[in-house]
Amino acid sequence: MTHYSRRDFLTHSARIGGALALTQMGGSSPFAAETPPAMAIAKWAGDPIADADSTTLASMAVKLTEQALDAVGGMGRFVKKGDVVWIKPNMAWDRPPELAGNTNPDVVATLVKLCLNAGAKTVKVGDNPCDAAQKAYATSGIEAAAKNAGAEVIYLDENRFRKMALNGEYLAEWEVYPEIVETDLVINCPIAKHHGITQATLCMKNYMGVVGGRRNAWHQALPACLTDITRFMKPQLCVLDAVRILTGNGPQSSQLQDVARKDTVAVSADILALESFGVELLGNRPEARDIVAKAAAAGLGNPDYKALNPRELAVT
Amino acid sequence: MQIACLALFILLFVNTRFREHVEPDASAHVFFHLDPLILAGTFLASYAVPAAALLALVTLAATLLFGRIFCGWICPLGTINHFVGWLRNRVRGLPDAPAQWSPWQRTKYYLLIVLLVMAAFGINWIGVFDPIALLYRSLTTAVWPALQYAVEDGSTYVYQADPHIGPVHATQVTEPVYRFFRDHIFLAPRQAFLGGGLLLALFAGIVLLNLVQPRFWCRYLCPAGALLGLFARRPLLLRLARRDDDCNACGRCTIGCQGLAAPGHGNPWMAAECFACWNCVSTCNFQALRFTVEPPLRKRPVAGLNLGRRATLGAAAGGLAGLFAFRLTPQAQARAYNPGLIRPPGAREEHHFLQCCVHCGLCMKVCPTNGLQPTTFEAGLEGVWTPMLVPKIGFCQYECNLCGLTCPTEAIQPLPLEEKKRVRIGLATIDTTRCIPYAYERNCIVCEEHCPAPGKAIYAVDTEITTRDGRKIIVKQPHVDPNKCIGCGICETKCPFADMAAIRVTSANESRHPGNQPILVGIGDLEGTAQQGYGGAPAEQTGASPYADPYGQQ
Repeated sequence: MTHYSRRDFLTHSARIGGALALTQMGGSSPFAAETPPAMAIAKWAGDPIADADSTTLASMAVKLTEQALDAVGGMGRFVKKGDVVWIKPNMAWDRPPELAGNTNPDVVATLVKLCLNAGAKTVKVGDNPCDAAQKAYATSGIEAAAKNAGAEVIYLDENRFRKMALNGEYLAEWEVYPEIVETDLVINCPIAKHHGITQATLCMKNYMGVVGGRRNAWHQALPACLTDITRFMKPQLCVLDAVRILTGNGPQSSQLQDVARKDTVAVSADILALESFGVELLGNRPEARDIVAKAAAAGLGNPDYKALNPRELAVT
Repeated sequence: MQIACLALFILLFVNTRFREHVEPDASAHVFFHLDPLILAGTFLASYAVPAAALLALVTLAATLLFGRIFCGWICPLGTINHFVGWLRNRVRGLPDAPAQWSPWQRTKYYLLIVLLVMAAFGINWIGVFDPIALLYRSLTTAVWPALQYAVEDGSTYVYQADPHIGPVHATQVTEPVYRFFRDHIFLAPRQAFLGGGLLLALFAGIVLLNLVQPRFWCRYLCPAGALLGLFARRPLLLRLARRDDDCNACGRCTIGCQGLAAPGHGNPWMAAECFACWNCVSTCNFQALRFTVEPPLRKRPVAGLNLGRRATLGAAAGGLAGLFAFRLTPQAQARAYNPGLIRPPGAREEHHFLQCCVHCGLCMKVCPTNGLQPTTFEAGLEGVWTPMLVPKIGFCQYECNLCGLTCPTEAIQPLPLEEKKRVRIGLATIDTTRCIPYAYERNCIVCEEHCPAPGKAIYAVDTEITTRDGRKIIVKQPHVDPNKCIGCGICETKCPFADMAAIRVTSANESRHPGNQPILVGIGDLEGTAQQGYGGAPAEQTGASPYADPYGQQ
C-alpha cells in the first residue's frame, strides 16, 4: 500500500498536463507527419560578401545558422522548456574571428538565442582553452557575443574537473567537467579546421574541450580516445561552422593565407554525418577518415552523410 | 584618508589584470610614481625614468613643507602597520612607560645609504626594501594567491564532497560565496608563484613585527621613510606646538606616538621621525599639543638628525662591498648566460634591466598564463624576485604585451603588440631522448599544434622508423625552425611530459643579448632570401618605432 500524498498528486498532474500539452503542440503542427531530415547544410548563395564587411558577414552567419536549424526541425526539437543548455564552441585560441581559430561568434550567439526562444532556462557557453582563457574568450569575440545574446559565459575552474567513468575501449576514466555533463543538452559547435595529425579537427575533437587532465597525451591515439569521449558525451546536436575554415597550420594559425571562406553552416543530430561532411570540406584526408571510421565501427553514427538525404539550403 | 589610500591601493592592485579591450593605464602606477625612493633609485641606477615618476617630486616637496605625511597618510604598508599596531595596543593595552627614541632608528638611514650607493654604481636593490614594491610583490606572489586558494579550494572541496542533511546542502552556502569571489573579487584565474611561501613568511614577519612594537618596519627599517626623513628634518610649514603650561607631563602622547618622535615634554620634537599622524594631539587630555602651519621663517626647536660620520661612511663602504659581491659572478659580468633566465618580451639588456627593475611583481600579476615567476637566484642575488618566464608553468601568450605595458619603470619596455610578437625571448630545443615520436614510436606533435609563430616554428617531418618488432612505420617527428621560433614556451607548457618536457625553451637566441645567440637567424635559406639579420631585431622593425633599437648595447 503506498501513500498518494498531495505532493505526489500535484507532480503527477503537472507531468500529465505537460505531456498533454506537448502532444497537442505536436498534433497542431502541419508538418507533424513529415520527419525532419537528420542533417541540413546551409550555404550562402547571395552576392559574395567581402571579408572586411563585418556587419553583412555577421548577418549572413545568423541566417545560415537559423535556417540550418529550421531545416532539421527547429531548436524546439532538441531543447525542452526549462532545459539548461551548454554550448561548446571552439574557444581555445587567442585569435580573432578572421583567423578562423575559433567558432564564429555570430553562429554561437544565434544558437544561444534559438535555445532561449525554445524555452531553455539557462544557456551556458564555455570551453577548456589552450591559450589563456581570459584572452581566448575575449579575442575570439564569443564571450561578448554570447553574453549579448543572453548566455552565461563560464570559465572552467581547473580544480573542478572530476574523474568520470568513460568505460571506453581505451579510456576507462578521465577528468571531465561536471557542470557540462550536468546540463540537459550539450550543443557541439566547432569550426572546421586543419590539424597537423588528424588533418581535420571537427566535432569529435571539439570534445577535447570538455576534458581536463593531461589531455594532450590523447594525441598518441586520437581515433581511440576521441571515439571514447564521443560515446560518453552522447551527442544530440552538432553544428559545424564553416563560414571560415582553416586550411593549413592548424588548429590555429597567425596568418590570413591559411583561412578560406566557405560561407556554410551545417547541422546534424548525427555527429558522424557532420564529421564526414567536414572531412570532405577539408580535403578528405585519410588520417581524418580513420577517426570517423573508428567511431562508426563503435556504432556512434552514420558516416555516409549523403545517405541521410541532408537538406541543402541556398541561403540569400 | 589613510584608509582611503589603502583602499585605493588594493583597488588598483585588483584592477591590474587582463581586461578585454582595456589597455592598462597609468593609474596602476600611482603609488610607485609617488614614491621618491623608487625615483631616486631608478634614476641613480639607470639615469632613465618615466616622466610620470617625477610625481615623486611632489611628494618630496610636500615632505619639505609638512614632514613625512606620505608615511602617515598615504603609504599603504604604513597603514597596514598602523592598523596592526593599533590592534596590538587595543588588545594588550598601551605600555606604561613612554617608549624612548632608540639609536636603532638610525638603521633605516644606513640601509638607505647602502641602497643609494649601490644604485649610484648601477645596482638597483631599492625595490627589495621599498615599501610600495615590497607590498605589491607580497600581495601578488603570496597574499592574494593564498586568499584565492583558500576560497576556491575550500568551496571546491565542499562541492566535490557535497555534504547534506536531507534537502539542505552545504553547497547552498558555499557555491554563492565561491561565485561571488570568482565574479567580483578574484576575476582572474588563480596564480601560484615559486618561492611564494618565503615571500609570504617575510611579509608576515614584517606585519607581525608590529606586535613587538607598533610600526616596527617604519621606525627602524623602511628606507623610503629614511629618505623622506632626510627631507623632513625641519618641515618648512608644519610645527608641533607644545604649551608647557597645560602639560602635566603624563607622557601619553609619547606612548601613543607612532614614530617614536618624542612629541612630549622635555625633549625636542624629532620631525624626521614624525609621521604627522596626529596621535599625540588626539591622546592629550589637556589640548597641550597642536600641529600648526606657520611661516617658514619662524623657527621652533627641532631635534637634529645625527647619523655620525663614521657610521655613515661605514654604510657607504657596505654599499660598495655589496656592489662588488653582487658583481662577482660570471653571469653578472656577462660571460655566462643562465639558460633558465628567460626574461619577459621587451625586457632590456640584463644590466640595464636590473638597473630599472624594482622587483615589484606587477608584470607577474598581469601575466595571463602565470608563466612569469619571481627568480630566486637565477639572476644572482642582485636580481632576486625579478620576473622570469618558466615555460613549464606558463607560456608567453602570443597576442599579449601586458607585462611591458604595466611595468612602472619600463624595465620591460611597453612594446606595441606587433613589435612584441617579433621579439625572441628564447629558443626551443627538442630532447629526442624523450620526445615521443623520436623515442617511443608514436605520433604526438602537441608542440606543433600549439606553436603560434606565423607559419609555425615547429614543423613535423614524416620519418620512417623501425619498431621493436622490425616493422617500418612513419611517424611525425617535430623540428624547430630557429628563424621562426620566438621562445614563447607554449610547446614546453603543453608537452605531455609534465615532469620535464621533451621540448624545452632556454634563453638562447634572445633578441636582447647578441652574446647569447648561437644560431645565425635568417641564414636558414642559403639561397639568400634571409629576412633577419644577425643579432638585432627583424629588419622591417627598424626605424619605425621609438623602440626601434631596444637592444642596443649600453
